[in-house]
Amino acid sequence: MVLIADMKTVIDLSSFNRRRVLLAGASLGAGLGFASLGGIRRAAAVLRLDVTQGNVQPMPVAITDFGPGSAGEAEMARNVSGIISANLKRCGLFAPIDPAAFIEKIVNSDAVPRFPDWRAINAQALVTGRLTRQGDGRLKAEFRLWDVFAGQQLAGQQYFTTPENWRRVAHIISDAIYERLTGEKGYFDSRIVFVDETGPKDRRVKRLAIMDQDSANLRYLTRGQDLVLTPRFNPSTQEITYMSYGQGDPRVLLLNIETGQSEVVGNFPGMTFAPRFSPDGQRVIMSLQQGGSSNLFVMDLRSRRTTRLTDTAAIDTSPSYSPNGQQICFESDRGGRQQIYVMGAGGGAAQRISFGEGSYSTPVWSPRGDFIAFTRQAGGKFGIGIMKPDGSGERVLTEGFHNEGPTFAPNGRVLMFFRDLGAGPSLYTIDVTGRNEQKVPTPSFASDPAWSPLLA
Amino acid sequence: MNFRTSSIVSAGAHVAFLGWCVLTFSGKPLDAAPQSIPVDVISAEQFSQITKGVEKAKPKETPKPLVEKKADEPKPAPEPVEKVVEKKPEIKPTSEPKPQPPAKEEKKPEKKVEEKKPDPIAEALKKEEKKPEPKKKEVVKEQPKFDASKIAALLDKRAPQRQASAGQELSNAPSLGTAQGSAKTLSQSEIDALRARLMSLWNPPVGIKNPEDYIIRVRIQLKRDGTVGAPPMVLTSGHGILFETARDSAVRAVFRGAPYTMLRPETYDLWKDIEVTFDPRDMFRG
Repeated sequence: MVLIADMKTVIDLSSFNRRRVLLAGASLGAGLGFASLGGIRRAAAVLRLDVTQGNVQPMPVAITDFGPGSAGEAEMARNVSGIISANLKRCGLFAPIDPAAFIEKIVNSDAVPRFPDWRAINAQALVTGRLTRQGDGRLKAEFRLWDVFAGQQLAGQQYFTTPENWRRVAHIISDAIYERLTGEKGYFDSRIVFVDETGPKDRRVKRLAIMDQDSANLRYLTRGQDLVLTPRFNPSTQEITYMSYGQGDPRVLLLNIETGQSEVVGNFPGMTFAPRFSPDGQRVIMSLQQGGSSNLFVMDLRSRRTTRLTDTAAIDTSPSYSPNGQQICFESDRGGRQQIYVMGAGGGAAQRISFGEGSYSTPVWSPRGDFIAFTRQAGGKFGIGIMKPDGSGERVLTEGFHNEGPTFAPNGRVLMFFRDLGAGPSLYTIDVTGRNEQKVPTPSFASDPAWSPLLA
Repeated sequence: MNFRTSSIVSAGAHVAFLGWCVLTFSGKPLDAAPQSIPVDVISAEQFSQITKGVEKAKPKETPKPLVEKKADEPKPAPEPVEKVVEKKPEIKPTSEPKPQPPAKEEKKPEKKVEEKKPDPIAEALKKEEKKPEPKKKEVVKEQPKFDASKIAALLDKRAPQRQASAGQELSNAPSLGTAQGSAKTLSQSEIDALRARLMSLWNPPVGIKNPEDYIIRVRIQLKRDGTVGAPPMVLTSGHGILFETARDSAVRAVFRGAPYTMLRPETYDLWKDIEVTFDPRDMFRG
């Protein structure tokens, strides 16, 4: 976990990039030449065609085994390509091709692959790479991403890290591939914190647990004496805030994942719950219950000053900041049933945005800013859905006996939530398009997931 | 009484007249039977393409004088006939000024018979025989020759009727230059097939937020066999990784679509140079 300083990205300036520059220059020249010709050509000679609909489908990608520098790294190298393949497959946007179909065997990842061989198996992108141990014991991982049909390199980078971080290197490479092929930031180099639940139903032990987004490297953050709920990540540091039923009233706590230190947020007379960080990580917004009503408060973590944001006789809770920190969405029953409202970050008038059937709760603003995810309860069913911040475009992604607690992946493309089919809760992911629902493997029952920001 | 009856008659007549007026002059709705007419909206450019025809086709030269001269001179007899002779020899027997040669022949023998009897007749006969012969050969040659541009004409069973109704002058109506003729044009189904192929292969980046920024125009040079000749040229410029991804997805669709076998080699001139606009706005509209 201490590798961040050690890990650096080196833009590859090997012969290939020089070649690309040359190619780019040549094509530019050709382009200019063509443009001058174009002036002479009759425009009518060109057949013009508009293509206004595409076909979004998983892109077939060939991920070759990374070449090991020596026999010692052979297994690790194979595992790296395995993790990349699993990541890309899980996200639903790629379809890794079975290595058994590969025609060309990549021996030297620096050499230009035989593109016709890869076109023959319908690969659109090709990943090659190498893993070598440096003289100083560090691990050097390098990869190249090739566009098979255009016959050129799309990306090529190398990373240095300590050998125990080989999994993270695989995730970082996955993110680089994802970003170059989709145009969006990836989310593979991230973690999930959730409430691990063990034991019989009437005496559940709930512990905070953290794991990589691919369920690896699981560890527990609390011992299970206190009941814990609603863990949330700080968007800028490896810190979480959560709610704990210790002695007395439930309290909002801060926990540093690296050091294990925890502290109570604020010193309020009533019960505090539903905490969440501001996008800059400098403030925590939460609910404070006093009497029969609860209102929203925000606390500055440095000055420890608290500010009241709402003052109603209703129950205002589950606040979540917009990614620019200008607005807050929250749930409130001020209109009768629980609905979602949006107001300025400093408080003031709130505008209701949910008008569908049933009640709406646990709103979460996407890191992309384009959607607010929610839990909707209607007709005896719980559904997870998204709507735009102005309340339009509402879409329920999944519905069933019990679904709750959505949290966005760092790039806002995937939602994680928990589903309880009766026996106990489990974690699931689903694309914001409503496709590609998948169960997230956990050692036991799991609820209340929170997705971390990208680690790097 | 008289006054009363006359007033009654008058009133009756007025009522009848007014009633007739009401019935007759009442506004009748225009009987616009709503017939749906299939309309293909095309641009001027497309129209010119459709009606352009192909350079190498023979009939291109003949039609112009024909039409022009017909328009200029109301007396079409001699010239068109000659042209018709050039093009479709079948008509020659009927239209060629055959009456003249026989007349000459008749006259000639009269004069020449006195001097040299056998030679001129033989010559004239030979001439007569020679003339039709080469023409017949041409006919034989041209008819079986397969010309793709005349497929429509070959399939058209009404050909003789058309000649008759249009008159001899227009029997050789130019096929090129008219939309209905067998001009070499890209059929709508070819263009649709090309578009459908690109649509099925275009996998635009899902992360597009402002689709109007990612409309990619690509110029493609195709070879006659439908393969991509040169690397597709992207005419749109932009920046950012999302633009690069959108650009790559368009170029990849072009590469993956090759060879474009739905395009006929006969119409190569029309599709050797294609500009495709990949427009994601419809896909990513909220």
